[in-house]
Amino acid sequence: MKTRITKFKDWLALPGGFGIFAGLVILGVMVILGIVIPNFGPYKSDEFIGDPFMPPSWQHPFGLDQLGRDVMTRTFSSVGIDLGVAFLGVSIPLAIGTIIGILLGLAKNKYVLSLVGSLIDGINAFPLLIIAVAMLTFLGSGLKSVVIILAITNWARYARISRTRAVVVSKQNYIEAAKTLGYSKRRIVLKHIAPNVSSETVAYALSDFILVIVVVSGLSFLGLAARPPMAEWGSMIADGRAFLAQSWWLVIFPGLALCWSAVSLSFIVEGISRRDRGI
Amino acid sequence: MSTNHLLEIKNLKIDVRVTKAKRLSIVDTASLIIEPGQIIGLIGESGSGKTMLCRSLVGTLGRRGAYIASGELKFDGIDLITAKQNVWNEIRGKRIGYVPQSALAGPNPVMTIGAQLAEAILQDENFPKSDVEKRSLELLNIVQIRRPETVLKQYQHELSGGMKQRVMIACAIAQQPQLIVADEPTTGLDVTVQAEIMDLLKQIRKDFNTSIILVSHDLPLINEICDDIVVMHAGTTVEKIPSKSIKASKHPYTIALYNSRIDLVEPKGQLKTINGQPPSVGSWPEGCRFSERCDFAKDQCRVKQDLPLISIGSNHQTSCLRHDEIAR
Amino acid sequence: MNIIEAKNVSVTFDSYGDIIKAVDHVDFVLPKGQTIGIVGESGSGKSTFARVLSGLQLPTSGSVTFMEKPIQNGKNTYEGALRKEVQMVFQDPYGSLNPRMRIIKAIAEAIRQHQGLDKKAAKVAALDLLESMGISNLDAQKFPSKLSGGQRQRASVARALSAQPSVLIADEPTSAIDQSAQAQLLGLFNELIKKGLSIVLVSHDLGVIRYLSDYVYVMKDGVFVESGKSEEIFNNPKEDYTKKLISSIPGHSIK
Repeated sequence: MKTRITKFKDWLALPGGFGIFAGLVILGVMVILGIVIPNFGPYKSDEFIGDPFMPPSWQHPFGLDQLGRDVMTRTFSSVGIDLGVAFLGVSIPLAIGTIIGILLGLAKNKYVLSLVGSLIDGINAFPLLIIAVAMLTFLGSGLKSVVIILAITNWARYARISRTRAVVVSKQNYIEAAKTLGYSKRRIVLKHIAPNVSSETVAYALSDFILVIVVVSGLSFLGLAARPPMAEWGSMIADGRAFLAQSWWLVIFPGLALCWSAVSLSFIVEGISRRDRGI
Repeated sequence: MSTNHLLEIKNLKIDVRVTKAKRLSIVDTASLIIEPGQIIGLIGESGSGKTMLCRSLVGTLGRRGAYIASGELKFDGIDLITAKQNVWNEIRGKRIGYVPQSALAGPNPVMTIGAQLAEAILQDENFPKSDVEKRSLELLNIVQIRRPETVLKQYQHELSGGMKQRVMIACAIAQQPQLIVADEPTTGLDVTVQAEIMDLLKQIRKDFNTSIILVSHDLPLINEICDDIVVMHAGTTVEKIPSKSIKASKHPYTIALYNSRIDLVEPKGQLKTINGQPPSVGSWPEGCRFSERCDFAKDQCRVKQDLPLISIGSNHQTSCLRHDEIAR
Repeated sequence: MNIIEAKNVSVTFDSYGDIIKAVDHVDFVLPKGQTIGIVGESGSGKSTFARVLSGLQLPTSGSVTFMEKPIQNGKNTYEGALRKEVQMVFQDPYGSLNPRMRIIKAIAEAIRQHQGLDKKAAKVAALDLLESMGISNLDAQKFPSKLSGGQRQRASVARALSAQPSVLIADEPTSAIDQSAQAQLLGLFNELIKKGLSIVLVSHDLGVIRYLSDYVYVMKDGVFVESGKSEEIFNNPKEDYTKKLISSIPGHSIK
C-alpha cells in the first residue's frame, strides 16, 4: 500500500515532475503574496503614505514610488490584474478558437472553408502585440478593451491548431468505427473528436498564458492598457523608467515580479511538455 | 587469415538508465558468433531485446540511455565496448552496415536519393568526388533498381516501400562492409517484394562475402534465408541452431515457436499458441525466463541461476537445462 | 444464401487532376456463415473495397446489397436497423481506439448504443465481453496506450461485436501485431466463425487468408484476377499473378 508521500515521490520522479512542481511552488508563492499583501497588508496600493522616492527599508521593503505609494503593495496588487487578465485573454480564445476550428475541420462547404480559413490565416499573420496596438487605437485603451481584443483576435491561433487536429482526428480509424457503430454525429463530435482536439489546444493555452501576460504588461508599458493610478507591472515600469538611475526600486521590483511569473509558468509548461515526450 | 571471429558477442548485458537511481536490464547473457559470409537469423518476440542487441553493433545505444553493463563484444578482434568515437567512426557505416526497419525509417525525406547515396559513398574521405555518380549508379544496379538515373533525382516519397528499402541497402553496402545488420527489413512490405529483397541479400552475400544478421519475428522467412538461427527470449539468446536442423531443436521456446507457425496448421484448425506473454523488461522471473510459459519446465528450471549457451553439437548451442531430455 | 452482394462496383478518386481507379467494376458475394478472403498487395484496392462493403466509402458506380436490400440511400449507407449488421476491424491497432477513452468506456458506449442497457448493466456486459476476449477487468480500466497491440486489436473486435453484427469486415487485422498476438487473434476469429459470424478478411498475408478463408478473391490493380475455393487457389493457382504471390511465401518456393 503506497503512502501519499511515496505516491508523490513517484510522480516527481517521472519526466518533467520536478519542473512542474518547482514552477507551481514559485508561482504559488507569487499568488499567495498577491492575495495576502494587498488585502491584509498595512498599506493600500493607491495610498500616499510618505515621502516620494524613499528607498527600501524595513517598513517598506520595496521602497516608495514617485508619489509616495508603497511599491511592495502595488507590485503584489498587480498579480491579480495580470494573471486575471491573462486568464481571460486565454480561456475565452481557447473556447472560441477550439470550437470554430473543429467546425471548420469538419466542414465540407467550399465557401465556408475558404472564407473562414482565410480569416484565420489573415489574423495569424500578425504578431499579437501589433494587432493589439492597432485595435486599441480604435477601441480606446484600457484593460477591458484589451480583454475584448484578445477575445476577438487570439482565437485564430487556437482555431488553426484545432482545425488541423480535427482534420487528422476525423480520419482516424476510431472515428470510422464510431460511424459503423451508428453513433450520432453529435456524439462523435462531442465525445470522440473534441477531446482529442482540445488536448492540443489546451497544451498551447498553457504557453500562450505566458505570452499574454507579457503582452498585457507590454501594452500597459505603452500606456495602452492599465492606466495610472492602477498598479500594474508594465505601467509601473513605464512610470518609473525616468527615475531608474536614482530610484531603481520603482522599476526593478515590478520587473522582477513579471520575470518571476513568466519563469515559473515556463517551468510548468516545460515540465508538462517533457512529461508528454517521456524524457 | 585472421583467427578472430568476424563478430563475437559473449554474455552481453545491456542496461538502460530509467531514472537517476533505477536501472533496467534489456539484454542479459546474450551470446553470438558470426564468421565471414554467414547469414544469421535473429528471431524473437517483441521485447526480446533483439533490436537493442543490433543497436549495440552500430553503437547507437547511448541515444536511448542504454549502455553495455558487462560481457564481451568484439568485431574482427576490436573491442567495441571500450571503443572510442574515432574507432567507431571507422567501423559504423564502413565495416558494419545497417538496414533499418522498413516501416519506420528509410531515406531522409528532404534529400534526393542521389544526395544520400553520395553521403554514404563519401564516408570514405579518400573517395574521389568525380566518381561518386558512377558509384551511385553502380550501387543502384547491384540492388536491382530499374532506371537508376531517374531514381537518383527522386525523393523518398516518390518511391514504393520496396524501392526505399533497396536504397537503404545500397547505402548500407556503399563501403563494402564486412557485416550488415538488417533489423526487420521487410516487415510491412508485400510478400513478393519481401521475396525479392531476400534474394538480393543472398546475392550480396554471394558476391561480396558479406555477413548478414537478419532480425525478424517471422520464423518461416528466417528458416528459408539464413544459415543459422539464433533465438532470443526475454533478453537472452536461448538457442543457436542451423536452419536445416530446426526440427531437431533442443529448446522448448524454439520448438513452441516452430509449432505455432500458421502454415503448419490446417485451415481453421487448432492453432498452437505459446502460453502467456513474454515477460516484460523489469519483471523477468528468476532462473529460466521461459519457465512460466514452458510445458516442459520443472522446479530446477526456476531456481535462480545463470543459463549461458551450452554447446551440444557442432554448431548447435542451447541454454535449456533439460535439453538432453528433449526427444524428437 | 448470400448475405452481402456487390455488383459492378467501381471507386474512382480524383487526386489533383489524376484519375485513380482504386476499384474497377468488381463483383463479389459473401455467403452466410462463410469467411471470404480478399488477398492483394498494397495498392490493389482491397482496403477501399472493404470500406465500400462496410458503408464507409460510397462507390462511384455499382451497388452493394445486404440480404438483397441495397445498402445505399442517397449519400447514406446502412440506415436505421441495418447499420449494426456490418461492423469493421481495422489494421492499425494504434488508431483504432479513442486514445482518451478507457477501454471499458468505449465498449460500454457501443453496448449501450445497440443493446439498450443502462449505464451499470452496460458496464458489466462490457467487462464480460472483454474478458471473453482475453482482456482482464484490470486491463479494461486502462487507456489504449497502456495495452499491447494484440490487446488493442481484441478490444476493437469486442467493440465491433457489441453491435451483435452478422458480418465482420476485417482489414489487415494481423498485420501490425507480432506472431503470438496474431495467433491469439486468429483463434478468436475461429471461435466467432463457429458461432455463425460471416467474415470478410482482407489481407496481404497469405498464411492468414489460407488459415481462415473458405473462398478467396485475389485482387490486383482494382480487379479480381482470380477467385476460387481456398484449397484450389493455394494448391492449384491458375493466374500468373496468383502463382507469383504464392511462390513468394517463405517455404513455398521449394514446391
